[in-house]
Amino acid sequence: MTYLVAAYAVMWLITFIFVLSMAMRQRRLAAELEALKERLQETKRYGE
Amino acid sequence: MERWGVSKLAIVLHGLAGAAILVALYMALVFAPTEATMGHVQRIFYWHVATAWVGFFAFFITLVASIAYLRTGRRRWDIVALSSVEIGLAFAVIMTVTGSLWAKPVWNTWWTWEPRLTTVAIMLLIYATYLLLRRVIEDPGRRARFAAVYGIAGFVSVPITFMAIRWWRTIHPVIFKSEGFDLTPAMLAALIVSVLAYSLLYISLLLLRTQLEFLSDEVAELRESLDE
Repeated sequence: MTYLVAAYAVMWLITFIFVLSMAMRQRRLAAELEALKERLQETKRYGE
Repeated sequence: MERWGVSKLAIVLHGLAGAAILVALYMALVFAPTEATMGHVQRIFYWHVATAWVGFFAFFITLVASIAYLRTGRRRWDIVALSSVEIGLAFAVIMTVTGSLWAKPVWNTWWTWEPRLTTVAIMLLIYATYLLLRRVIEDPGRRARFAAVYGIAGFVSVPITFMAIRWWRTIHPVIFKSEGFDLTPAMLAALIVSVLAYSLLYISLLLLRTQLEFLSDEVAELRESLDE
């Protein structure tokens, strides 16, 4: 039974880490995109 | 539809995958009978085989996407190939670890260099190298072309890994034989549901991962246009 529990725990841990890493990367990229868009707006305003 | 963000298709897919995983858990842990010789540890098998199947399938999708990239030169195929390798590798690692946890009580060892385990180790190294090599090539076009060729050549390891237990003398069990399945109907049902659940999870993750890469491209393009 110990091996069964360990196998399921490892399986879910790897899946969780994989999904979490994607979620964190998506959040970072979305924030960076917003910042870049703001910078672009400022650049356009400055250019005008 | 937005390239990233929560689309309706993504919500439906994630919901379906989540529900299928719960059903598969029930089938593997409750519905399937306890195997007479190995006992409860045999229940690892349902997820071990499901992750193996999806891992192999993910590498097959990389093969198809790599061929499509070389034919069309479209970045979207490169993204699909890369995303599928990442997911396939995660599943292949789960397959290897769960297999090892099954092997300890059944074979009395965590690992042995028999044909299936050896070919699995080589396959893991090949696809881990795919990801590493992508990081060291800076030119995007060259990187995508190289990755596509590598993704096609690397796939050779998949059928060899699959056939290893049929071609060579091995201690690894052979469940799918030419005469049929070496399982009771309830065990087979649990296995089929597990494979379907993990296949849905793969599609769901592939959608997320490709959207992430499109977002990354958009950030890179915007950064470039600002730097000019």
